[in-house]
Amino acid sequence: MTVHVRTLDELLHAPLEADSDLTTQEYLVNMGPQHPIAHGSLRVVVRLDGETVKEVIPVPGYVHRGVEKMCEHLNYRQVIPYTDRLDYLSAIMNNWAVAKTVETAAGIETNDRIEVIRTIMAELQRLQSHALWWGVTGMDLGAYTAFLYGFREREIIGEIFEETIGARLTMNYIQPGGLMYDIKPDFAAKVKKLLPYLKDCVEQYETLLSGNVIFQERLRNVGIVDGARAVALGCTGPVVRASGVPLDLRATEPYGAYGKVQFNVVVGTVGDCWDRYYVRLEEMRESIRIIEQLIDGIPDGPYSTIRYNVELTLPEGIHYGQVETARGAFGVLIVSDGKREIPYRLHFRSPNFNNLWVVTAMAPGWRIADFISIQSSLDLVIPDIDR
Amino acid sequence: MIHAIKVAQEERLFAGKSVSVAVITRGRPPGYLRVAFSAVTGLLRGLWLTLGYLWSPEAIVTRQYPENRATLQLTERFRGNLRFKFPNEKAQEDHAAFIEQLAHETQTHAHVAADLVREENETRWYHNCTGCGKCQEACPNASIKVFTRQGEILEDREVDRFVWRLDSCMFCNACVQACPWDAIEMTGGFENAVYDRRLLVYNLNRLAGPRINYIEEEENPDVRKRMVERRDRYGGEVPLNGFALPNLPPVTTPMESGSRAIDADAQARLT
Ligand code: SF4
Ligand code: SF4
Repeated sequence: MTVHVRTLDELLHAPLEADSDLTTQEYLVNMGPQHPIAHGSLRVVVRLDGETVKEVIPVPGYVHRGVEKMCEHLNYRQVIPYTDRLDYLSAIMNNWAVAKTVETAAGIETNDRIEVIRTIMAELQRLQSHALWWGVTGMDLGAYTAFLYGFREREIIGEIFEETIGARLTMNYIQPGGLMYDIKPDFAAKVKKLLPYLKDCVEQYETLLSGNVIFQERLRNVGIVDGARAVALGCTGPVVRASGVPLDLRATEPYGAYGKVQFNVVVGTVGDCWDRYYVRLEEMRESIRIIEQLIDGIPDGPYSTIRYNVELTLPEGIHYGQVETARGAFGVLIVSDGKREIPYRLHFRSPNFNNLWVVTAMAPGWRIADFISIQSSLDLVIPDIDR
Repeated sequence: MIHAIKVAQEERLFAGKSVSVAVITRGRPPGYLRVAFSAVTGLLRGLWLTLGYLWSPEAIVTRQYPENRATLQLTERFRGNLRFKFPNEKAQEDHAAFIEQLAHETQTHAHVAADLVREENETRWYHNCTGCGKCQEACPNASIKVFTRQGEILEDREVDRFVWRLDSCMFCNACVQACPWDAIEMTGGFENAVYDRRLLVYNLNRLAGPRINYIEEEENPDVRKRMVERRDRYGGEVPLNGFALPNLPPVTTPMESGSRAIDADAQARLT
């Protein structure tokens, strides 16, 4: 299946037409780069006929920092803090992607303890990220209360991160060959105490938003995209799963401790905004399940298998590794010349970039207000798109 | 729930693997009456939940900063401002007590006061740094510049000025991890607002000189004194020259005159 996405240039030079009954004219409107629902600087040009969206063209690039180019001057440990600044809500998972790629390429072994702690941390962050997304979606659709509830859970999980890692957002925690710090002795007990509370929170989310008639009506059957089209556009994560494709790297190519735990890949049936909403809620329950299975038996061992100052040089060639972040597959492609300890070229395959383009398939035909629901249901993090 | 949701578990073949999936399905749309009824109950249940905070305010997790500034405790691993580690616990305690008093007197925050201190017990500033520069190498965005000098007494390389650029630091902790001598640490300091951004580039060491163990090996107190030399926060050349990349030559712009002005500024704030 091929997908054609018009460029902004093509859109601007195409003749505008009006096919409504009244003598109206089509017009182009910029949504963004400063628009409250974009949660960052994302510009979207929409072709409108009255309130109806005819065409959408995203114009990213307002937060472009050239991270990949910068990484060509940095060694592999120094690349990791930069990945915190891509999809900042999945910082630990982004760190993991680089660490995993470097470990595989350089043949660095890790131990069970490291992998289990990584998995627990990643799942905690997935929970945190989905909680924030839930709140923000509520806010986008006019329910400000939800925003505060989402942030409540984010704060509570953030405190656990702060104790173990020392940071709340820019983690730089997972390093090639291990972790930056070992967990504290009371980490497991604290997380265990938190799990029933989080379960309760997901129920509260259901009560606050899922059961709300206005909210349901704004999401249900809006912005439908079928599985084949979502795959053709390169979507991953909850977006493609909501369309019924069980693509989840945690299950299809297990890494870390995911091979040892039981969990379901949550998929939808319709592929509308409501499915994308509910897939994430169910994923929160699955994440809690994964942590529950791991938290009791964290194996013993060192928290890092190599010393910090060891020189990491990858063999000559192209190395690729990917993990499932809260928004989809995050991949790292490293081209190494085999001589220096910095990459020759580096590329991040970021989930949000591909997830963004699905709006071009979803939005046409819907009203502006529905476009808000659609963009919100994609859970975009703009710095990850622009890099 | 207006529209019934069912989550059913099943096994599906995907990408040549059997994946256990949870499928979300919905039932038939309910009739008009039922929608009307559950719309009202759904809204009321949401309202009831939020009302709960009225009689259990202890569930609120928000921390009131800056009202709680006096009692604010950050975690031990919190990655805030970088500083030289104190050589021993006693020095750290002495220093903390002194700073508290100073902060009280000058009405500044303890972290600001800590860096403005000059006239006090010298041995408190003995350090573990050898000037090896490993931290500078590890820093991803060139926020550290270690100036070394040839020591007079020991005739070995030792740290002269350790310049840290708070303005470009991203608090990644790489320098602390890379230091083989455990000489630096990240603290809970985070209140860094200033009116002149040049104030954000400063020396971390108060003494230029060798590691503490070399000083302590020396028995003659006069020689000990001569081994170290005072360094203040804003003295000397400041490398405001951006990133030195492996393939690019660094740009050098000495900021001598600028740093004098800053020095006076800092003095003025203290008095
Ligand atoms: S914390 Fe990171 S950015 Fe800051 S000085 Fe240390 S290594 Fe450099
Ligand atoms: S702080 Fe540590 S790594 Fe940096 S120069 Fe001093 S001893 Fe070397």
